Amino acid sequence: MPIVEGTLLLSLVGVLARLGRGPTHGDRLLAYNSASNRVFVLLAAVGTFTGRAGFLSAAVVYAALSFLGVVILARFTERGGGHR
Amino acid sequence: MISWALIALGLLLVLIGTLGVLRLPDVYSRLQASGVSDNAGLGLVLAGLIVRNGFEKADLTLALLLVLLLLTNPIVTHSIAKSTFTLEHRERKEDR
Repeated sequence: MPIVEGTLLLSLVGVLARLGRGPTHGDRLLAYNSASNRVFVLLAAVGTFTGRAGFLSAAVVYAALSFLGVVILARFTERGGGHR
Repeated sequence: MISWALIALGLLLVLIGTLGVLRLPDVYSRLQASGVSDNAGLGLVLAGLIVRNGFEKADLTLALLLVLLLLTNPIVTHSIAKSTFTLEHRERKEDR
């Protein structure tokens, strides 16, 4: 059903606009986290609707890796890494 | 039928959360919009996908995704809020 994927893609574009604009580090981090959440739910929806199990495994790996990435980036900016 | 209701409710929450991330004025309010609506909306979409997939085939990958989302999203929101608050506080202390 392409309505579900289309709506998720629309909200992904909206969140990516915040990722490009956001004035602080926190805005970009939260937009990155929301975008990766939408991407793995999109992968799960595609895998369920087309019946291919590989998409679901890719969604699990993507969710775990994006969680690690966001937490590590948040700790990095908290300790003063990157230019402010 | 139940799966479509769950998916539609979840997509509505996801769209409301995207609107909040785009339109709210502050980092912390955007963080609240993102955290709450992502947890509820994407969780409802995943629950609808689980119901649609059926319970006969014992495929636990979607349930694993749901548990992963509900476990990691509060941790991520808290750590982003803590990082933003620490940076702001440090800048304010350096200004004095």
